[in-house]
Formats: sequence, C-alpha cells, structure tokens
Amino acid sequence: MPRLGAYILALAAWATVLSPAVRAGGFDHAIESAGIRTVKLYGLGAGLQAGYGSGIIVSEDGLVLTVFSLLIDARTIRATASDGTRYEAEVVHRDTERQLALLKLVQSRHPNQPDGTIEQANDAALRFPFFDLSGRPELRRGDWVIAAGNPFKVADGAEPVSIAHGVLSAKTRLDAKRRTKKFPYTGDVLVIDSITSNPGAPGSALVNLEGRLVGMIGRVVISELTHTHFNYAYPVDVLHEFFLEATGATPSKPEPSGRADEERPRPADLGLRLSKAGYRKVLPFVERVRRGSPAARAGIRPDDLILSINGKTVADVEACNRRLETLSPQEPVVLVIRRGRTIHSVRIEWEEE
Amino acid sequence: MVARRIHTGLLVAGLTLVCSPAAGSDQDPSAETSYEALRATQEVFHDVVEKVVPFLVRIETVGGSQPTAPLPEDETEEEKPRKRRQHQFQDSLGSDFVVADGPTTGLVYSSDGYIITSSFNFVREPILISGVLPDGRRMAADLVARDQVRKIALLKVEAEGLPTPKWAGVDDVRVGQWAIALGLGLGEQEPSVSVGIISALNRMSGNAIQTDAKLSPANYGGPLCDSSGRIVGLCTPMAQRHGELAGAEMYDSGVGFALYRERIDDIVSVLKHGKSFYRGWLGISVDTRFMEGVIVANVAVPSPTHSADVKVGDRLVSANGSPLRHYGDLMRALYMLPAGEQVNLVIDRGGKEWQASVKLARSDELGSLPEVAEPFDPSLPVPKEEPPQP
Repeated sequence: MPRLGAYILALAAWATVLSPAVRAGGFDHAIESAGIRTVKLYGLGAGLQAGYGSGIIVSEDGLVLTVFSLLIDARTIRATASDGTRYEAEVVHRDTERQLALLKLVQSRHPNQPDGTIEQANDAALRFPFFDLSGRPELRRGDWVIAAGNPFKVADGAEPVSIAHGVLSAKTRLDAKRRTKKFPYTGDVLVIDSITSNPGAPGSALVNLEGRLVGMIGRVVISELTHTHFNYAYPVDVLHEFFLEATGATPSKPEPSGRADEERPRPADLGLRLSKAGYRKVLPFVERVRRGSPAARAGIRPDDLILSINGKTVADVEACNRRLETLSPQEPVVLVIRRGRTIHSVRIEWEEE
Repeated sequence: MVARRIHTGLLVAGLTLVCSPAAGSDQDPSAETSYEALRATQEVFHDVVEKVVPFLVRIETVGGSQPTAPLPEDETEEEKPRKRRQHQFQDSLGSDFVVADGPTTGLVYSSDGYIITSSFNFVREPILISGVLPDGRRMAADLVARDQVRKIALLKVEAEGLPTPKWAGVDDVRVGQWAIALGLGLGEQEPSVSVGIISALNRMSGNAIQTDAKLSPANYGGPLCDSSGRIVGLCTPMAQRHGELAGAEMYDSGVGFALYRERIDDIVSVLKHGKSFYRGWLGISVDTRFMEGVIVANVAVPSPTHSADVKVGDRLVSANGSPLRHYGDLMRALYMLPAGEQVNLVIDRGGKEWQASVKLARSDELGSLPEVAEPFDPSLPVPKEEPPQP
C-alpha cells in the first residue's frame, strides 16, 4: 500500500515536470522548473555565517550541489525538498579550492518531525526531478535569468523558494575576498544584475528563460576590482567538472597541502627588479633588467612603469610582485608599460634562456 | 483614424481570445512576460550593447591612495581649538566607501579625444591615467578637470576621429522605459550589462535621472542607455548631500542616478578650459540643535556671507526660493551648487526680511570662524538691529 502511495507521488512529480514542457519558456516556466529542483538546507551556523542555505538536485537519486561552507559541517544536515518532504543530507565530496560541496539526500532518521506530515518512501524508491549538468545552454550578456533559492530562509517546508530575476551582466574570472582572506576560487563566473549576495542564497539555482540550469550562486564575497558585494554564479561547466570528480567519474585534482607546495615549481623569473623605496605604496617602476633575461629580450628597460600584467592592473610594487610570482613559464606574458608619454604592450616569451 | 485603430485593436483582442481560450480574458496580465515577449526584450538588450560598445573607454589608473581624515595627529592641546576652526569648512568625501584598484568606465564625448566619466574614479588622485579606446588602442590620458559636485570628470587622449554616441535629450526620456547601464569596471573587454527602468526624472535638484538598474563601480562613468541605444545619462554616485563619494554606499541598491545630457554639456564646456568645480560654501555655521528655523550661529571672516553682511542671529528664510525650515533644507538647497554659483537668500533679522545675493565660495577661500564669547542662543531676545540697506 505505501508502495502505491509512492508511485502516485512519483507520477504527480512527473506530471509537474512534464506539464510546463508544453510551453517553451518564460519566467513562470523557469520558476517552476527551478523550484522543484531546488532544496532548502539547514545545518551549522556561527557568527555571521548563516546556518541555512540552498542546494540544487543534480541526479535522480538525490545528489545535491551546494557551496562549501560551515553549514555542511553540521552533524546532521537537513534538506527540505519542494514538496515539503524532509531528508537528511550526507556529504559526498567537498572541494575547498572551488568552494563547492556535493551532498546526498537520504531518508530522514527522524521522520516524525512535529511539522513533517508527509510519509516518506524508503531510500531505494527516492526519485527526484533534477538538473542535467551535461547541458550547455547558450547564455549571452543581457539574457534574462532567474535565481531560485532560500535567501534569509523565508520559505519553510513546502513553500516555494524565493525567486529573483535579472540579466546576465558579464562573464569574468572571480577575483574576490571574504573579509580579509583571498577567496580561493579564481575561475570563471557568471555575473548577474540581481542581488544574490545574501545569507542563504549561495547554492541557489540560476536558470535561463527555458528553465535550464546555467549556474549556481556562489558564496558571499567582496570583489577586489570594485570593493562591492559580488553577485555571481558558478557556470554549469564548472559545476559539471566538480560533479564528475566528486562522483569518481574523473580523477579529482589533488588538494593543496604542505607537500604539494614543495613540489610546486619555483616561480618563473622574468629577470626584473622593481623600484624600492620607503613609502607605503611604490609605483612599479623597473629598476634593473637582468641581461639575457626574458624581460631584456622583450625590450623592457629601466624606468619603464608596469601598468598591467596579463590584463590585470598592478597598482604598486607589492601587487606587481605578487602577480609576477604567479606567472607560469608555459605561457607567454603580456606586460603593459608606460615609457615617457607613451604606452606599450610588450609580449614576453620564456624560451631560449 | 482613431476609430480605425480601435477597430483593429478589437480585432486583435478577438483573435487572441479565439487563439487562447485558456486565457479566458482579452487582458492577459502575463502577456508582457510571455516567452516571446521576453525573448524579444533580450534581443533589444543585445542590440543596445552592440550599438554602444564602440563608445566605451576602459580607464585604468596607477598610484594615488584613498584620502583619509585630514586632521593632523601631532597637534598640541593648545593648537586643537584653532586647528579645528581652520578645518571647520573641510570638504568631506561624504561616504566611507573605499575605491578599489579595478578599472573604470568612460564614454567618448567628442571625436577629438574628450572622454567623460565619473569623478568617483579620481578620488584617490591617481598619478597616471590611461584609457583603452574602443578600437583597442591604449593611450595616456590627461585629467582635464573635474566637477566634485555633479561628479563628472573630463579626460583627454591624443586621438582624432573617434566615433561619438547618439544622445537622448531630457524630453526623450519617460519614466517606466527600459534603462540599460553598461560598464567596463570588471576588467573584461566586453561591458557588463545591468537592466532596469527609468524610475524618476529630475532628481538631485533637477540634474539627474533615477534608475533601478544596478549601478556600482562596475559601471560608474559608463552610459545609461535607452532601448534604441541612445545615451540618456552618465552613471555616477549621487546622494542628497555633499561629498564626492556620497551615494557610492547605495551601490547595486536599485537606487541609482545618471546625469542628464544637457547638464553634462553645460559642465563640460567649463571643464574643457581646465576649470574644476568644487563644493560651494556659505561660510556660516548653523546651530543644528534647534529643529525650527535656520539660525546663523557664526560667520567666517572672510566669507561670502560676511561680505553680504549676514550676522550671528539672522534667520535664513529661503535659498533660491526654497523655504528653509531647518538645517536639512539648507543642505538640500545647496548640495548640487558648486563654488561660484549665486544663491539668493531671504534673511530675517529682528522680524524684518531682506534679500542677499551670495556667491558660494571654495573651502580654501574661507577664513576661520571668529571666537564667539558664548554660543548664540535663539531663545534669548534678538538684539534689534536694522537690516542693511540694499
């Protein structure tokens, strides 16, 4: 008998999935599509870190993607699906570099919650509507997007999650910090013009007008370029890559550790020495160029002022040195320098030395 | 003609009814957000970006630092009151917002290399400025002059024949129409896009358009565009108070401002001669403890108000026609007026009203406030003194 109940429930779920397919898209369609594939998460919170969040279902058996945060350190992570059913979530994989986590929804060990009235099927029968991460929907700047999640945990139980609309603002690389610490993820992000930099919003689904997943909202960070709260999402290909590693489909990148640090190749050396002075901020003037070095071969001269390295502006010697240390001898370097009144772009090749 | 149009309208409505009986009404409230309508608006946004990109300039700056509180630390206890008086009329930034190192946005103003942008970008007084032109050329840029009050700056690069954008005038802008803000502050080749609508006209003492598009350092200095790709204004932080950073703390809030074209033209015609605009001061202090009336507590010597014979105890009745009920009214009457502008004051002295025309001064033109034996108390009877004869 409970088996039949589950069957009917599954059928009902399928009906909700299929019915909007009659129409190709629109806000209402996108909201419905995203809403049923989004879960509300509850876990550990402390201080300014919210003990609640959002996640997106990425497999039929209930794998859930969310951001890496204190929340998932809870002894019991609770998840509420769109129909109000409560589950527990186990951490499958966490990635501190990308700040992502993969969870698995399992049957709650405490099904008789005071307000949890829905009977649950056993784990084997769990079936969820989910986002297909292998899709790569086209998304251009100016295209409408919908973010679906639980900022400020305003939605409870079966209440639909909060929806925000906006457009794709930009595609860029993340250069951000959390309080004073550099944010470890520096890969591609989608920037949106909807305010998602709010507690609980990280882990929200970002979908296009057709309701297809284009990204997932990332943690609250401050952009280094603008000193503002940044409203961004991980693009779906980054999520897919993480998902494949987390599920063992592809080998995962080794986590950085002390040992890995030793094995890391020495920073590439362009052969530049920059000005030194007692001031707080020193402009990155070239003081000396080592003879025969890549910089010398490219024609860099003393007294040239370095404005940017590989497209990133360097405001002072400190920033310049930091960026020089990250250069890899595999890739050519483009310096923009100012010499007198003129500005030159100089490409430096590593070879020959 | 009108009748004919109504006829066609009815026909279309009838057709809609036939085609979508499920809607049940000829006024489907979701029609504007139908998939087709939304797809069409996306195309509009794409077209705007394409049309306006050729006029955007990425501005990069090197050097300079965030200005900090100007009071010297090594002052002695004796010096403190004097120093404080000297700093009585110190221009402030108006916000704690810290300007970051990232690039900012400018807009080609004229084909001979003039670029307009937000003065927000130069608060740190950078030593070097360079501009990346739409064609990819990177050039040294000179800061010709800036307006710290209306918050725009004029740059010049050595270039000829730059393409210039189409502008929409004040009369072409309607509340409720699409407003698209573009900027290069995220450091990408392609601009960031934020979409909103025109929320209000004639904000900031008639200088600015308000929009709910998300404005921030990512697009300050960039254009606010209409749906046909015309520029309706230049995005810049603004608030109803003094300070070059005032309003930056409202970034991304859905309350953003863009300076009108007409105002930009007026200002640029002056900036072109290397003349900057600074905050305008009356040179008086007002006791803010009293909620009713703007009563002069002290007058700096020299100052424009001192020259106009304004005295301690005078009550300012109106400024440029705006009644002044309290200190806030006075601030609102003046915050968009730079030094050099005339202000017509109506002043009450002992029950008699008289008028004074005062030319606002820069802070460095003001003397200190003279010592006042005891703070002026408006609850005491005001000494009867005749207003000056005009």
